[in-house]
Parts: sequence; structure tokens; C-alpha cells
Amino acid sequence: MAWAPPPSAAQLYRPNRFVSLPAELDPATYDTSPEKLRAEAERLAIRSRLKRQYLLQLNDPNAPAVIENPALIRWAYAKSQNVYPTFRPTPKTSFLGAVYGLGPLLFWIFVLKADRDRKEKRIQEGKLKRSPLSVFF
Amino acid sequence: MAAGALRGVLWPRAAAGLRAARAALAAPLGARAASEMSKDMLPGPYPRTPEERAAAAKKYNMRVEDYQPYPDDGLGYGDYPMLPNKSQYERDPWYQWDQPDMRHNWGEPMHWDFDMYIRNRVDTSPTVVPWHTMSKHFLLFLSIMLIMFGLGEIYPSYRPVGPKQYPFNDLYLERGGDPNKKPPAVIHYEI
Repeated sequence: MAWAPPPSAAQLYRPNRFVSLPAELDPATYDTSPEKLRAEAERLAIRSRLKRQYLLQLNDPNAPAVIENPALIRWAYAKSQNVYPTFRPTPKTSFLGAVYGLGPLLFWIFVLKADRDRKEKRIQEGKLKRSPLSVFF
Repeated sequence: MAAGALRGVLWPRAAAGLRAARAALAAPLGARAASEMSKDMLPGPYPRTPEERAAAAKKYNMRVEDYQPYPDDGLGYGDYPMLPNKSQYERDPWYQWDQPDMRHNWGEPMHWDFDMYIRNRVDTSPTVVPWHTMSKHFLLFLSIMLIMFGLGEIYPSYRPVGPKQYPFNDLYLERGGDPNKKPPAVIHYEI
């Protein structure tokens, strides 16, 4: 009977939504294949082009007062004005809308109504005195 | 302009957008119907064809292989790229960022939850002890303490006590008894 290989350190660590895997445990850190090197070189090329554009604007003697960051503008636009055009009613979004939109409303309706009914019943039975600020006759 | 002489004939659109953005700087964002960036520089709907994906990757300054939009669930993400959920704390503190406090470079695509991942807020740095170990220890401790406190409430245990015994005939004079009358004798002992 063959034993399974022991769990790796990365598997023992179990990264999740709240913590990420340390670089030392990530096998991608130790990967030196040519594809990875080419990918890194391309990313470096993009980064250096952007840096050059930014530094040219920064050190420009006729510098504009504010250097606009297109990434920031796109981020703000995507989060505010691009949500409605790209929204689509699907079963999932309809369900989520019902749960988050109608759920709390109906919950509080029933809780408050039940509480007030119980209080009214106790007043009718005489256990509770109607407060002088009450608007009921 | 120097930007046009970049080895990026790849980036003429970006350079043109930049020139337009620099040219009309006075208006704050939202003052007009659209910003000074052309419509194809702004986020749009989910990309369906490979050409749209390539165009979107170029728009966001990413490699085509790196670009991965959010799944098309109709939740409103559009073609915004899905970046790894890592906080800004994990980025190299010693690299010279364009914006050092945010650890963010100019033009780099920002995470959808960027304002959550800034260094004052959520931090996803790797921990010394794995998360599942930490949560197990904490929940074990908390549950054991709560169970013991609950048991202590249900079954209290203390040494036997009796009512307190006061001297001077149960403090007859201190409690306002009449000094002319003889107080009732209170004896707490038995010989």
C-alpha cells in the first residue's frame, strides 16, 4: 500500500481570505523557467514605461498642478458609474437583492409588531399601565 | 512629445489620453457628463471576444495573460480586472513607490477593494502561526471558559455560610431602640 506524500509546508499553512501564503513557502518563488522570466520582463517593461511617463510629468518645469492618475479615475468610475450599466438581473442577484433589501425590512416589521402586540395584550390584562405619553385613546 | 517616442507604439492611446487629461485639468471629476478621458479608456462591459480582452488588458496597463476580469455574474464589475486579494502591507517597503504611503505606482491597476486594503485597514500579511491553528486555539479557549462560567452559574459552589450575628442584642440601641427599656436578650451561642 503506497503512502501519500507528506503534506507540504504550504498545504500545512492553508492560506485563506485573511492571510496569504508567505513567499518562502510558495513554489512559484523558486520557479526559474524561461516563461516566468519573460513574463517578469514584460511586467517590468510596462512598469518602467509608466514610471517614465509619471516622472516626466513630475519633473516638468511647466508642470500641471495635479498629475491625474488614469488608474485612479478608472477605479473610481468602475466602482460608481460602471455598476448600473453592467448590472444584470440573474437568479443570484435577484436572490441577493431580496435577502439584503427586503430581509431586514420584513424582519423588523415582524419583530416590532410582535413586541407591540405583546405589550398591548399586557395592558389589556391590566399588568402594564399605559404611559402618559401614549397617543392611543 | 516624449511619450510618443516611447518604444510603446503600443501606448499611443495612453499618451493621447494623457495629453487630453493634462490639457483640461481645471474641471474636477464629475463636473461634466464624462471625464476628459475618452470612453474607451474608461471601464466598460464584460469583454466577450479575445480582441476585447486584449484591448481591456492594454487599457488597464496589464499583460494580456495577467488580465482576468471578474466572472460575468451580472453583479456590476464589468471588465474590471480581478487582482489577487493582497493588502498593500504585503508590498515591498523598500522599493521606491510613486505613492509611498499607499505603496502604489502611478498607472498601476488598483484592486477593486483598494480602499479596504490600505495600510490603515485590512492587512493580509502572512502570520507566524497559521490561521486555522490560531482560530482553533482561540475558539477552544473561549468555549471552555464560557462553558465553565455557565456551569458555575447553574451549579454555584461556595463554603457554607450562616446569617451574620450582631453584638449588643442585635444592635438594639444603634437601631433606635428605647434606652430606658430593657432590650430583648439575644444570645447567639450555646454552651
